[in-house]
Amino acid sequence: MHRLFGIETEYGITLETAEQIDPVKESIELIKNYRRDPFLPLWDYDGEDPFRDERGFRAKQLNNHPDEVEEEKKDRERFAKEPGRSFREIKSDRILINGARLYNDHAHPEYSTPECQNLFDLVAHDKAGERILQKCAERRSEELGERVILYKNNTDFYGHSYGCHDNYLMAREVPFDYLKACILPFFVTRQIFAGAGKVGIETEAGLVTPGHFQLTQRSDFFHVEASVDTMHKRPIVNTRDEPHADPATYRRLHGIVGDANMSEYATALKVGTTALVIDLIEQRLIPKTFGIANPIDTIKMISHDQTYRWMLQKVDGKMISAIDHQREYLALAQKHLTHQNGDTDWVLTQWEETLNALENDPMMLTDRIDWVAKKWLLETFVESEDIEWDDPWLQSIDLEYHNIDLEESLFYGLQMQRVVTDEQIQTAMHTPPLNTRAYFRGKSLNKFEDAIKTVQWDSITFEIKGKPVTVNMNSLANPEIAQKYNEALDLSPNPQTLVEKLGLH
Amino acid sequence: MKDQIVYFPERKERPVKPIEPGDGGDENNTPKRPDVNRPDTQELLKRMRRVDKDQSRRYRQRTGE
Repeated sequence: MHRLFGIETEYGITLETAEQIDPVKESIELIKNYRRDPFLPLWDYDGEDPFRDERGFRAKQLNNHPDEVEEEKKDRERFAKEPGRSFREIKSDRILINGARLYNDHAHPEYSTPECQNLFDLVAHDKAGERILQKCAERRSEELGERVILYKNNTDFYGHSYGCHDNYLMAREVPFDYLKACILPFFVTRQIFAGAGKVGIETEAGLVTPGHFQLTQRSDFFHVEASVDTMHKRPIVNTRDEPHADPATYRRLHGIVGDANMSEYATALKVGTTALVIDLIEQRLIPKTFGIANPIDTIKMISHDQTYRWMLQKVDGKMISAIDHQREYLALAQKHLTHQNGDTDWVLTQWEETLNALENDPMMLTDRIDWVAKKWLLETFVESEDIEWDDPWLQSIDLEYHNIDLEESLFYGLQMQRVVTDEQIQTAMHTPPLNTRAYFRGKSLNKFEDAIKTVQWDSITFEIKGKPVTVNMNSLANPEIAQKYNEALDLSPNPQTLVEKLGLH
Repeated sequence: MKDQIVYFPERKERPVKPIEPGDGGDENNTPKRPDVNRPDTQELLKRMRRVDKDQSRRYRQRTGE
């Protein structure tokens, strides 16, 4: 499991009593509360191109939700009346000293963790994102005199979904068709332990079946096997080709199909199992027989299945349960990846234990897996209040499970298994993960902020004696090289010394 | 520039170590394995009853990624 990975989470935002809010404005104002001083370093958008496709072409356009076409028209009209509001102000990009990125993505505050290569570092940084955003919300609430509420979930129950993307740097030499053939069926069945649970079945047009408890927030919104889209007609495998690293060596698997997890354990298992499957893919160890016959229908069918048998048809016509499908991946990982490091062995052990529990009694996972914990909460409430499953109150309960306020959240009222400590989360709020390029980014910002002109995932440009000097961090995907760069940074009293130590000046 | 960061005054460099499951922390923040058979149901029910029934009806978001 030696690779860089990270999680991007778009949060839902609302005000406690408002019937209607302007989410763009509120996201901008929320992020401003991270810090109020003029923010000089700028995110470098030149390195971003969401139209570029892994399959070797550039898309002419991206699909958009019909409601969003109207909303964007209103945005343009509004911003035309506010000529002072620049693109950069709308994006509100903040690069944090822990190496993370905090910004307004369209109409949601988004926290992108720093790239980690230790699974539990990533969990701590994912949780650090919650804590940072909650602090911003509390400060914004004081300004407004009204409570700002943030939800780490993926739907508004009216057909509008927003993402939690898990990202993995991997070898470019793996043919994309092989990657897709291997990872797509894994994504279809991963939801049995990675789903966050949802009351109701949706389409993009809105809620169609209230009261039906399903495994995931997101599965209702996936309609094609592979494409570059993320906003509408979403694909199970996203083909966006933005490695944010040396494109000759790396590609980035941009996983958009997953739910935002509240459970630390579920986050670790979701990312850990996916990283191991990518290890298997890079070694070409996954056979075509793992393929699923009709993945688009199957991903929804599994999510909706209330028998929890989760039967599916494979490409060879055989019927198999989603649990046994996951066991096929697990068996390969146990055979080829055991004892590589502590993270790997933790994932292998927990993966097997989780599948066993799902087979015996999913409710054994009430303290670990989000959809199970949420189901237990809802069942307890239904019984206590003697209400029906289609009572709209249950959707509000579902929503409050994802509230990130430690005092209000239903999730934080549960006693869930932890895989990191509060101390580790506190540390992650201020400290980038060791031996990564995120360390170089975060520490550079902490030490030399005044000298930084622009930042991207894989580069930083300093201004030294009036001239721009760019540190290309492509090679820092290698932890040994990252360590050398980071040691040079730690030993440098100023940016000039740093670039001299790196041989750039 | 550091002096200007008034909204996150607690930011400071801390020694870090690789994070391991079950690592570190005092009695209050050590990872816990709760007894799933005995969660504090009454406290949770109180929290759930406080939830505004109309919260999800009012909650409208724009499509994201």
